[in-house]
Amino acid sequence: MSDNPLISLPPAAEAELVRRLQARDESAMTLFYERYSAALYGVIFRIVKAEDEAEDVLQEALVKIWHAFASYDPAKGRLFTWVLNICRNLSIDKIRSRQHRVGSRTQGLDDSLTAQRQAAPATFRPEHIGLQEITQKLIPEQRQIIDLLYFEGFTQSEVAEELNIPLGTVKTRARTAIKVLSKLIR
Amino acid sequence: MENIQQFIESGILEQYVLGELTPAEQADVEAKAASHPEIREELQQMQAALGFYAEAHAITPPAGMRERVLGNVMAQIAAPTSALRADVDAVAQVNTYSTSPAQPTSATPEAVVRPLSSAPVAEPATRSIWAMAASVALILSLGANGLLYSRWKEASSDLVALQNEQSRFAATTQVVEKKLGELREENQVLRSDEFRAVALAGTKDAPTARARVLFNAATHKVYVDVKSLPALPAGKQYQLWALDNGKPVDAGMLAATTAAGEDIQLMKDIASAQAFAVTVEPTGGSASPTMPIQAMGAVSI
Repeated sequence: MSDNPLISLPPAAEAELVRRLQARDESAMTLFYERYSAALYGVIFRIVKAEDEAEDVLQEALVKIWHAFASYDPAKGRLFTWVLNICRNLSIDKIRSRQHRVGSRTQGLDDSLTAQRQAAPATFRPEHIGLQEITQKLIPEQRQIIDLLYFEGFTQSEVAEELNIPLGTVKTRARTAIKVLSKLIR
Repeated sequence: MENIQQFIESGILEQYVLGELTPAEQADVEAKAASHPEIREELQQMQAALGFYAEAHAITPPAGMRERVLGNVMAQIAAPTSALRADVDAVAQVNTYSTSPAQPTSATPEAVVRPLSSAPVAEPATRSIWAMAASVALILSLGANGLLYSRWKEASSDLVALQNEQSRFAATTQVVEKKLGELREENQVLRSDEFRAVALAGTKDAPTARARVLFNAATHKVYVDVKSLPALPAGKQYQLWALDNGKPVDAGMLAATTAAGEDIQLMKDIASAQAFAVTVEPTGGSASPTMPIQAMGAVSI
């Protein structure tokens, strides 16, 4: 796992960062930004879908990470997992607080799928090679479900309703998709 | 045991990693993970998988964002006033300690008052000397701290730059290795005796078209190697067909790089063919060939 170039921070470096954050070392935030901003910004941007809002959320998330760091427990999971969750939650809160939420939901699904297609990088970037591979390994149904759950902040029941398929099918596909992803990194 | 497996497969772990659970349900999952290594292991794998998915979608933030975001974050989290206050308190403490030996130690309140009223003129002077010395020490120490802090920051940003460089190299190496693997594969195909080369010549609709199909009848593998094909209008793509007993069988779409002759491409497996042909189709391909044929050639037996 650690030798996968996509996982940007090896466990030892992560431990060092955790130690510095626990010691309330403010300069660790710069290191933190260098290491995680692209991954976090990518997730936030895909959820809120607007550059300025994504920037606000990232900033809010970094401040929250700093202040809530005492509640991070390395025994429960990686730092990256913890911060990803904070960013996802803040981003999802953001889109849910938008006034027109209910009205835009169906619209949102179409938008997100179009956005995904457009988001394909036009120029070759070595760091995106992983994305290409994943796209090929996940069948479209799995990818759609994982994107709705992960990037649109839908619950499994909402996905079932949105796609008009049984909840059981959503659960199976979500589980399979996560399995396929975890095979990829082994 | 069965219970744990059931729990793992119930879908609640997916809900946990996707953040769908209430705090109480989350705590329940965490408690179960703490006491059952299988659950913990499963959770970690799922979190790593989603982390990987997130990283695969990384977007380098727009230019200028780093300064804005980091600047605002640092301003919000920094506590320079409280740090200064701590230093000032330390100085005040130094003063207290330094002056205390001059004061007679007495438990009675009168004893405390008396030295102040009858104090020699020298005492305020001692106080201010101590205060000045402490202030100078504080200023020197702040200066030194500032210097050390900026050096340390430089060192840590150098380290970040190096680490970034290293991960970029790792990614590039991976790409190069992948490319090398592809070239090796191509080379094997080109050198293999099992592959039969089928020259495709341009028809009157595309007289300059030249391509070659490498067909392995034993493994059913088909490669296409373009020498030259006319440029296509937008929305069109070349499609390769195998003709088996006069019936066209889809052999796959030519990637843009293949059509441009940049590399050879592995096409769909073809069990049997007497000829191959190339047609122009809408992007994504057609179920049956759109005439006219651009280039064609028969498999020599």
